[in-house]
Amino acid sequence: MTRYLVRRTLLAIPLVLGIATLLFFVINLAPGDPTQLMINPSMRAEVVAQMRANFGLDQPLPVRYVKWLTALVQGDLGYSYSYNQPVSQLIAQILPNTLLLSGAALAVAFVVGVLIGIVQAVRQYSLLDQALSFVALFFYSMPSFWLALMMILVFALFARNVWDWPIYFPPSGTRSVDFAQLGTWDQIVDRVRYMVLPVTSLALVLAAGIARYTRGSMLEVVRQDYVRTARAKGLPERTVILKHALRNALIPVITLLGLYLPVLFSGTVFIEYVFGWPGMGKTIVDAISMRDYPVVMGTSVIFACMVVVGNLIADVLYAVVDPRIRYE
Amino acid sequence: MMATRASIVLGLVVVVAACGRDYADGGAAAMGVETFCADVAPAVDAFVTRMEQERPVTDSARYGGTVVVASIGDLPDGMNHFASSNYSASQNQQFVNLMPLIRYDASIQPQPYLAESWEVDDLTRPSTITFHLRRDVYWHDGVRTDANDVAFTYKVVTDPETAYPNAAFWDHYVGGAAGVEVIDSFTVRVRLTPHADYMDPWTSVSIMPRHLLEGVPVSQLKQHPYGTQCPVGNGPFVFVEHRPQESWTFKANPAFPTGLGGRPYLDRYVFRVIPEQTTLLTDLLTENIDVYLGPRADQVPEIIRSEALDLLHSVFRSYTLVAWNARRPQLADARVRRAMTLGINRHEIVEAELRGYGVVANSGVPPFHWAYDPTLVDSLRYDPAEARRLLEEAGWTDRNGDGVRENTEGVPLEFTIKYNQGNRYRQDIAEIMQAQLDQIGVEVQPQVMEFGTMIAQISGEERDFDATVFSWVTEFKLDDMDLFHSSRIDQPYAFSGTRNAQMDRLLDTLQLVVDRQAAIPLWKEYQLLLLQEQPYTYFYFPERLDGINKRVRGVTMDARGEWVNIKDWWIPKEERRAAQRAAAR
Repeated sequence: MTRYLVRRTLLAIPLVLGIATLLFFVINLAPGDPTQLMINPSMRAEVVAQMRANFGLDQPLPVRYVKWLTALVQGDLGYSYSYNQPVSQLIAQILPNTLLLSGAALAVAFVVGVLIGIVQAVRQYSLLDQALSFVALFFYSMPSFWLALMMILVFALFARNVWDWPIYFPPSGTRSVDFAQLGTWDQIVDRVRYMVLPVTSLALVLAAGIARYTRGSMLEVVRQDYVRTARAKGLPERTVILKHALRNALIPVITLLGLYLPVLFSGTVFIEYVFGWPGMGKTIVDAISMRDYPVVMGTSVIFACMVVVGNLIADVLYAVVDPRIRYE
Repeated sequence: MMATRASIVLGLVVVVAACGRDYADGGAAAMGVETFCADVAPAVDAFVTRMEQERPVTDSARYGGTVVVASIGDLPDGMNHFASSNYSASQNQQFVNLMPLIRYDASIQPQPYLAESWEVDDLTRPSTITFHLRRDVYWHDGVRTDANDVAFTYKVVTDPETAYPNAAFWDHYVGGAAGVEVIDSFTVRVRLTPHADYMDPWTSVSIMPRHLLEGVPVSQLKQHPYGTQCPVGNGPFVFVEHRPQESWTFKANPAFPTGLGGRPYLDRYVFRVIPEQTTLLTDLLTENIDVYLGPRADQVPEIIRSEALDLLHSVFRSYTLVAWNARRPQLADARVRRAMTLGINRHEIVEAELRGYGVVANSGVPPFHWAYDPTLVDSLRYDPAEARRLLEEAGWTDRNGDGVRENTEGVPLEFTIKYNQGNRYRQDIAEIMQAQLDQIGVEVQPQVMEFGTMIAQISGEERDFDATVFSWVTEFKLDDMDLFHSSRIDQPYAFSGTRNAQMDRLLDTLQLVVDRQAAIPLWKEYQLLLLQEQPYTYFYFPERLDGINKRVRGVTMDARGEWVNIKDWWIPKEERRAAQRAAAR
């Protein structure tokens, strides 16, 4: 297993570097550069030229590429033009937000999705199964930004201003402004309150998809001979489903996890925008529009690493749920 | 075997490095970030704590509370004035964290601020200004602000290597060390050649701390950690924390001079970034934020309906325009450009788009400005018949009956209007123009573009555009040199590329006339000439709209900006967040 992991990791190096190289040239060939976005009628040509020189943008592209690559190999992701701080530091400030949001959403989505999937498979064609299918499809086909806006409307605006509910949630942000003045317990409650809406918006859509997968895969497994054998030897239904059937049914779901992990790091742009959640998705989109090359490159390298790590985790989990799978 | 192992180890190192695990060092160490911030933070804490003890707050009915101001964008340059090209960032420098030498009062007259007085050697032909600084202004780390800070700031902003964005401020000042002289610790003199509104730059140039930034190569000042990580200002609010894309937190400066009103009423001021405007409105309605800067006009009814909120609105210094690329043959004739303006119902656009919160513009001179000519307000009003006549006169006639005019060579009168995505006002303008100009036989294609690409195309050497929808924010010192003077035709923002000798003469003269009374007729002539020449079709000055929670008292927002008197904002004790939180329990 260790050898396998090392081999996979080593194979990932050229992949990550290749992606980064491709991105470097693509973003640098896009029209415009960071100085052109500092719009001021008196931004004269000579000021722009000086600013480009200060940024090192006056050097030829291949020279900049070699410099960037040399720095990257030394762990230096460069300096952001629009945030005026080192990219590594910026990512260190932003990444925890994303990990918190996507980690929580992923956990909720998988727990809820798998549970619903099991219930549906066990009670196939029952009224409950059909109702859950309907609900799952409803959320699955909903655009996440629309769902997010509706959540804000219902659980923030209407809950507080119209229906006067005892509990409502803040529409945006990661913590209240007087967070620093709160006690530890209140701080935890505060953070959770701010997470509820974005995590739910993100998790609902994912859970719906996971439930569909789990249901399908469970239905296939419960018809297998070994499940029948388990039932025949008199095991309680709970053990049959959770121990014998579920473990095998989870294999395709784990593939899903491998695919979702990187998407969650990069693909939460809408949720981040709507909930004003300062995360990686919004950072990279803003950096592209600001032509902040170092930030684009830095975040892309991180994403590429996430994809590799996500797939690696999925592969390891295969072996965990299915003892027949061995990596040499 | 050894080689394999070594390569595995090396490979792992590369992956770990490339995956960014090693966040703490890298570029940060190279820039001295850690030492800079680690050095200044304890000094600021110590000074502020000491001053808080020395000057305790007595009137708790007014002093205290936190105000949250939110907007769709971050403050990209932070509190680093040397890099400042962003409106909100500049405002926060001027009124929150730093101090310019002077400030405007509501009637746009210069008033003392960091400088308690100043002398101009000759009011009709000024060649030096001598500023006398206050002696009771301290940087937030306890060092006194003095004339050396002013001289340092002046030398940096006039140094070409700094790439200071507002280069036009210094066109008629003597740059560098030759232009500034420290007379004594609190007196400083700058040199200039006589020109119009020469005091104006001093209202927006925030003075920067010499003791912290001298010695940093000027070309690297923009990237110095001072700006976004540990600014040390001297203004009414002390920097506490910056979370990128999320918030800036400031607290009251207990050492702010009593002569300038002393400590601000608010304990803390938080600037939040919320990129989605629907969320912003909900945040305001649910009192998660106190001030929503720049709501869309269509959100105004919701704000007005709410009992807890007020809408502040006033005409601002920005204007929206369509720039015509006169380098294009079909747009080279001023009569054609004038016909375009006459063919568009701008008053209707102000009513429909801005719900009346705006004024039709005919030049870049804002309606409240002393140089504004109110008699021209109704010029070039919607008149399709006159537009058609002008086009006929210029030789554009529909010769083949397809509804689009052609010239004698059969070239149709058609062009594209570029606008950036994500700006609904600009999209609507382009689409309304398409519909209305079609009525006078002109074919217009609106074309949406990614912002960076559009800027590259309209400001690059190629000038790859026919027309573009755009906006400018002007200073109080008006200066269209870089937009319309023929000697600046290759500058990035000389969109129109028109050449007009009279315009050149006026622009040259207007910059130099010191006496306003003598300048007014020239400004009138200039505004008349713009109506003739139409390098732009000026659309409107939109009113600046701000949604604000009524619990925040004492707020003034006008053409000077939104933060102009933030020092005097206050929240009654029982309406503060902490009080509400306690009451909810």
